[in-house]
Amino acid sequence: MILSILFAGLGQLYNRRFMKGFTFIIVELAFIVTLLESINYGLWGLRTLGTIPGVDHSIRLLVFGVLSLIGVFFALSLYIYNVVDARNQARKIQNGWKPMGFRESMRTFYDHAFPYLMTFPGLVLMIFVVIFPLLFSVLLAFTNYNLYNSPPRNLVDWVGFENFVNLATVPIWQDTFVSVFSWTIVWTVVATTLQIGLGLFLALLVNDPRIKFKKLIRTILILPWAVPAFVTILIFSAMFNDDFGAINKDIIMPLFGGDGLPWLSDPFYARVAIIMVQTWLGFPFIFALFTGVLQSISKDWYEAADVDGGSRFQKFRHITLPHVMFATAPLLIMQYAQNFNNFNVIYLFNEGGPPVRGQNAGGTDILISWVYKLTFDTNNYSMAAAISIIMGLFVSGFAFYQFRRTRSFKEEGEI
Amino acid sequence: MERRVFSVVALLSLFLLLAACAPDREEVTSEQDTNSEGTAEKPEELTIWANDEEKQLEAIKKIAADYEEQEGIKVNVVPKSMLDQVQELSLAGPEGNGPDLFYQPHDQLGTIVAQGLAEPLNISDEELSGYSDVAVEAVSYKYNGETAIYGVPSVLETYGVFYNKDIISKAPETIEDLKTILEKHTNPAKDEYGFLMKPNDLYFAYPFFKNYGGYIFGGETGEFDTTDIGLNNEGAVEGGKLFQSFFGSEKIPPGTTADVVDGLFTAGKVGAVINGPWSITGYKEAIGDSLGFAPFPEINGEPGKTLVGVKSWMVSYYSENKDWAQDLALFMTNEENQKYYFEVAGEMPTNTNALESIEDPIYNAFAEQVKYGVPMPSTPQMSQVWEPMNNALQFIAEGENVQAVLDEAVRQIKTKIQASGASQ
Repeated sequence: MILSILFAGLGQLYNRRFMKGFTFIIVELAFIVTLLESINYGLWGLRTLGTIPGVDHSIRLLVFGVLSLIGVFFALSLYIYNVVDARNQARKIQNGWKPMGFRESMRTFYDHAFPYLMTFPGLVLMIFVVIFPLLFSVLLAFTNYNLYNSPPRNLVDWVGFENFVNLATVPIWQDTFVSVFSWTIVWTVVATTLQIGLGLFLALLVNDPRIKFKKLIRTILILPWAVPAFVTILIFSAMFNDDFGAINKDIIMPLFGGDGLPWLSDPFYARVAIIMVQTWLGFPFIFALFTGVLQSISKDWYEAADVDGGSRFQKFRHITLPHVMFATAPLLIMQYAQNFNNFNVIYLFNEGGPPVRGQNAGGTDILISWVYKLTFDTNNYSMAAAISIIMGLFVSGFAFYQFRRTRSFKEEGEI
Repeated sequence: MERRVFSVVALLSLFLLLAACAPDREEVTSEQDTNSEGTAEKPEELTIWANDEEKQLEAIKKIAADYEEQEGIKVNVVPKSMLDQVQELSLAGPEGNGPDLFYQPHDQLGTIVAQGLAEPLNISDEELSGYSDVAVEAVSYKYNGETAIYGVPSVLETYGVFYNKDIISKAPETIEDLKTILEKHTNPAKDEYGFLMKPNDLYFAYPFFKNYGGYIFGGETGEFDTTDIGLNNEGAVEGGKLFQSFFGSEKIPPGTTADVVDGLFTAGKVGAVINGPWSITGYKEAIGDSLGFAPFPEINGEPGKTLVGVKSWMVSYYSENKDWAQDLALFMTNEENQKYYFEVAGEMPTNTNALESIEDPIYNAFAEQVKYGVPMPSTPQMSQVWEPMNNALQFIAEGENVQAVLDEAVRQIKTKIQASGASQ
């Protein structure tokens, strides 16, 4: 075991597992020869973010640093595996266990590890597509990366929690953050609940056996889904225009008189309008989802309810709703998470407007669109990263809690 | 046992982190072996990043081919959207994959210089004299106490008044004329307007402030004092009030957007709009010979001082052939090539002779307007000005108190500049 700690593979050799031992030795040698230098460079870069302005590119160093961290993690886990393996084998040998021959052990390995082997490419992909950018942006939140320290000319430095502290203490961030955050939550809850409610309601109606032309009605109700969202949003944005839009000019003014409602210039009405737009965009999916699930509910249940004299509402409350919710809960949760970060609707509708006096985000800006503005108007990348982290934590916390409570995600037999 | 393994590993990794030490690097000094007499060795090829618009590329390729013939240096023209160039250069440059020349509007200068991407040029006064003054002013910039020219100006842009000759017979000469037109020809019930402009755009509203003594940043062009913001001084408030008088019922609706302006004007329902040369083609197609153009009307007894944008060729800091890159940039913007570029791409030249030789009446009027132009501020702090000011203009158009709104906007600009991390 001590031998293994000294150099991977030696322990296995001592245990007379020559094949395994040599493999480990080769792997470690290869690791040292090829990667040690670049990992050293990466870690150095991660620690200092460069020392000479104009030569060291801090952001590239940060990227290298994260990559080396991942490399080190891999190496360490292999290394630990090697040590643990050596110890286990030594113990087994002490207990009088005879190692299998090479071919035999390969076969048991293959049988045993097949699923891991197959998921390995996915794992690697995930590390680079998900973990790497995630780590990168998390780290960015602890730097002072903005336009005035932009590489190549200048260096970026670590500033610890300064960005988070600023977010909570500096007035311009503080005021805006609180109001944007609360609107984001209102938006998520109201817009998503409305679209789910509408979808469910329509699905129930269309599924009623007394309704004729079901196919036609379904097709029509799914149409809003078929038109690309950004086209719809742009059209709605034009229709809601205060002075020229069809909604004020052709509907509200002829019917009610007056000058119409300030859809785009008053924050309250802009919020109402955008929630309506999202409901319109979102309900067809929910509708299609529920229609599918409703078909699968056995008629026997309803017949039994009829025998017991259950009312229409009771049947809905105790049969339909639990069934539907059981099957779709994860997807509905996804809807909430998606709307929390629904950049498209907010930005295309009126770029987060209307402006609000005294704050640096518009009336309908949710966190994600505010972060977008920060990054591209202010070039304050580190602050944007800090807010993204808060957003990410919020969404994942929410999703985690809900998934845990959803039966669909419980493992078999645990229900 | 288990615990010991992990503590050893943890120690080891900590050790690794601490031991990670600086690699040996040569300290590259920024002084490279450029020859001061301008006789640097002729390179085999130069690479330029040109904006990826079809017409512009076509013209640039032809000019590059001419240069190749004249000097025997191969010129690679790489199409790359103007908007992506700065970011890509900051990544590709240090790797040695960058171009020798890149193409940017001058209001990006501050950002580019802050990142150290452009090389200051040494162009002689004689060579500079060929370009319009406003263009040269626009491409000079002060960094660390030194003012230098960072780009060879290539294209000018500003704005003025387009009018529909079917609706108004004579171009408005003063802002009062424009208001009369607005009041006389507006009929909101039929979507007809004498004059339309988007309320929330500082770019177009700038003359209202400037002509009464308002300004964005103090100091000279390129040497701005970003702590001195003149957008809420007495003059600016007066201009703001004038601006406000254009909006309201039976006047310009505050909800007007760019789409509305273009849509109604091309439908022939609007007498006059404010716009730049980029909309000439579209407008001509829609209303044909009825399209007229006039410089920005006089405000406060002076010609409207509009903001001018200048697109220019900049030499990359990472270029190995800076002298030749500069030479190529000068070649591309000489009189003859600018004339050619204007004919193909339809963008206004910076070269005075080329500018004056244009015979199209609309472009002539633009050339006239350029004389009164003020270059857009090029400091990075400028990007914090747009949003608060555009919002303020929207509030003004909606009828709120001008002084209060402008004070608030300026305060917000200042905090935003601070929040963006500017130390100066």
